[in-house]
Amino acid sequence: MTVQASRDLATAFGTASNRRGRYFSFKRIGTPVVIVVVLLALYWWLSTLALDSIELRTLNWDYLLERTFEHLRLTVVASAIVAVLAIPAGIALSRIHSRAVHAIVFGIANVGQSTPAIGLVILLAIVWKLGFEVALVGLVAYSILPVLRNTLVGLQQVDSNLTEAARGMGMRPLQVLAQIELPLAIPVIVAGLRTALVFCVGVATVATFINAGGLGDMIVNGLKLQRWPVLITGAVVVSCIALTIDWLAGLAEDLLKPKGL
Amino acid sequence: MSETNSRPAAGARIVLRDVTKTYPGQAGPAVDSFSMDIAPGELIMFVGPSGCGKTTTMKMINRIIEPTSGSITIDGEDVLSLDPNELRRRIGYVIQQIGLFPHMTIAENISVVPKLLSWDKKRTRDRVEELLAVVELDPKTYAARYPRQLSGGQQQRVGVARALAADPPVMLMDEPFGATDPITREKLQTEFLRLQEKLSKTIVFVTHDFDEAVRLGDRIAVLSERSQIEQFDTPANILANPANDYVSQFVGHGAALKRLGLIPVNQATLGPAVPVRGAIEVGINDSLRNALDLLVLSGGTPVAVVDAHGRVVGSIDIERISAVLGAEIVPSALTGARP
Amino acid sequence: MNNSFFSDFGLFLTKRSADIAESAAEHLVVVLVSLLIATVVGVGIGVLVWNRPIARSLSIAGAGVGLTIPSMALLALLIPVLGLGWVPTIAGLAFYALLPIIRNTVVGLSEVPPAVSESAQGMGMGPVRTLFRVQLPMAWPVVLTGVRVSAQLSMGIAAIAAYVGGPGLGEMIFKGLSSLGSKNALNYALVGTVGVILLALLLDAAFVLIRRLTTSRGLRV
Repeated sequence: MTVQASRDLATAFGTASNRRGRYFSFKRIGTPVVIVVVLLALYWWLSTLALDSIELRTLNWDYLLERTFEHLRLTVVASAIVAVLAIPAGIALSRIHSRAVHAIVFGIANVGQSTPAIGLVILLAIVWKLGFEVALVGLVAYSILPVLRNTLVGLQQVDSNLTEAARGMGMRPLQVLAQIELPLAIPVIVAGLRTALVFCVGVATVATFINAGGLGDMIVNGLKLQRWPVLITGAVVVSCIALTIDWLAGLAEDLLKPKGL
Repeated sequence: MSETNSRPAAGARIVLRDVTKTYPGQAGPAVDSFSMDIAPGELIMFVGPSGCGKTTTMKMINRIIEPTSGSITIDGEDVLSLDPNELRRRIGYVIQQIGLFPHMTIAENISVVPKLLSWDKKRTRDRVEELLAVVELDPKTYAARYPRQLSGGQQQRVGVARALAADPPVMLMDEPFGATDPITREKLQTEFLRLQEKLSKTIVFVTHDFDEAVRLGDRIAVLSERSQIEQFDTPANILANPANDYVSQFVGHGAALKRLGLIPVNQATLGPAVPVRGAIEVGINDSLRNALDLLVLSGGTPVAVVDAHGRVVGSIDIERISAVLGAEIVPSALTGARP
Repeated sequence: MNNSFFSDFGLFLTKRSADIAESAAEHLVVVLVSLLIATVVGVGIGVLVWNRPIARSLSIAGAGVGLTIPSMALLALLIPVLGLGWVPTIAGLAFYALLPIIRNTVVGLSEVPPAVSESAQGMGMGPVRTLFRVQLPMAWPVVLTGVRVSAQLSMGIAAIAAYVGGPGLGEMIFKGLSSLGSKNALNYALVGTVGVILLALLLDAAFVLIRRLTTSRGLRV
């Protein structure tokens, strides 16, 4: 059940990116337009408000840029670690031709998928400590699964006739991997990385609860102090970051996709 | 010019001795003690029902499947003692699904083996152009295209070109034309025969289509369960004298017609030329099957036989055709009432 | 030390069992209510747009964009409008749950072979009857997969919703955080987290069952 289930989930998540239709060009141009419009509207709205001293303490460029930097640092560092760990691990797993091993991995991935990010981060903080490192570990642990799973699925879905043809032409196993399997699995692997990046932006938002900074700070402060402009700014900016990263990852996906597919 | 443009490497002799494959956990062997001697430049067809082990047998020659026991030599060299990857670079390999790499252009697909053999760029590029021309695809148009931009028949030709890239003396082909429509298939078969006439590779060709085997093969091996050889002979001999019930069942009905398809009109003793204008004519190098076809149309009146220049050199009728086959297998109904 | 932890955790479970059960029940209820709303609305939108190229592109692209918005940001944005508590929680969860359902409804309906719909109409079924008797039943397995993805998604997001005053196991997790340093902190966070995982796995198993029971036997693989 577990293997089938995670395949189903993977395909359900994958359908949008596998089906490149007309909407894609809309998304390509539409997304940045929406982001810019939203940010401009936010700026205009804020500039019409008479902000009190509490609001001014957070609604200024220095504070905003610092939180954004913290947020991006968490996201990017975590994603880089994920890529470095999960892709080789996925390749190694794909070399193990054991249904049992794969079922266990998909099973763990399944449980991992149902683990609430907030619970994971807070548990880590309780058993370890507060701060950036802990948040980083939480982000990595949470977003490693989609990349691992996509690497495995991406390599497994390569047509076995192609690998046989490659072997039949005298390629060594590593040559088959590097020249045939990996190029053909790239779209799926990059889609996994894209998911991981978006996960990271989201989970980095709850990092505020364990004193790891980021734009979640503004949301939490805004709520605590009942200052809606602060809360809204934090929420809107973090959403725009998520959209931008997803958009950039989408572009990368298109660029890295081997021609001829 | 580079050596690629010189005479291609002629075929090699392949000898299989008691080759056996047993899969772990299975009662009997998939291939049981298979022995065969294949002469250089021969085109050998493995025919048999699916699951009879014909593909497994073929794949053991390039060690995509490792034999459990027995020996295979190519030109006296023991295949099992070689590095399998080095070995495979010297054996062309075409599979039914073609297996063109979708992320590589046609040119890149064809240059895979030359690259593995570290040919220099110019030599590789020249070879790609040469091969595309050989399989009748214009290099200028097709070299930079991707497989999905080609039709099924074109892809199959690229598959053959790719297998020929390093001019291997041996080719293994696993139902290469199986997935194409009948018209394309016949065209590919004709081209393939023409190609083989020039190249004379040693080819092991697996098919389940007996007609294809008759059409292409120098010799046909009719295989049954566990890759047992029921008969191994030329197409004409198999059609004329099936070794046992299994083979005759495989040959199916119309063996005589299939044989006629293999024999040209000039093998028959022609009758006198019929000086009738507008009579139905058959070329002297056409098959007897064509002659028979025309005889049906003519209502049994002898058909004129013409040579390459269109001159009438004789005539042919049903008796003369059946005489070629030996009267015993032509039904009396066809030859007319003869006691 | 391990032993003492387990006995301590065991004691915690028995002492708070009523609280835990209530949190778990509330968690399940918000998720199910949101899923129900999202399924009705999502399938409705899917049915309306799948055959209209522009509307379909817009809604699928919109669903993709929506899924990238961090849940905490969206929940926060709902507070000024909807206040705290159950209402913003259900609204937020339903929003996220909507997206996979729309997407899978559109995909599922598009994958029904046109020949089948055509022959239904050829037998005299009207468009509405074709939809309910032929197209939706055939698309159902795909739609249900979407609902299942939504269920998994909602389970985790509901935990974060505790921050906007939503009910459920998230409260336990946050209680763990706020009692950081006390010996019950770990117990609270653990119960909350593991509770969500168990609920999610149970719900997922329930979906396997629902899928078997509600899919036409002719469509089962």
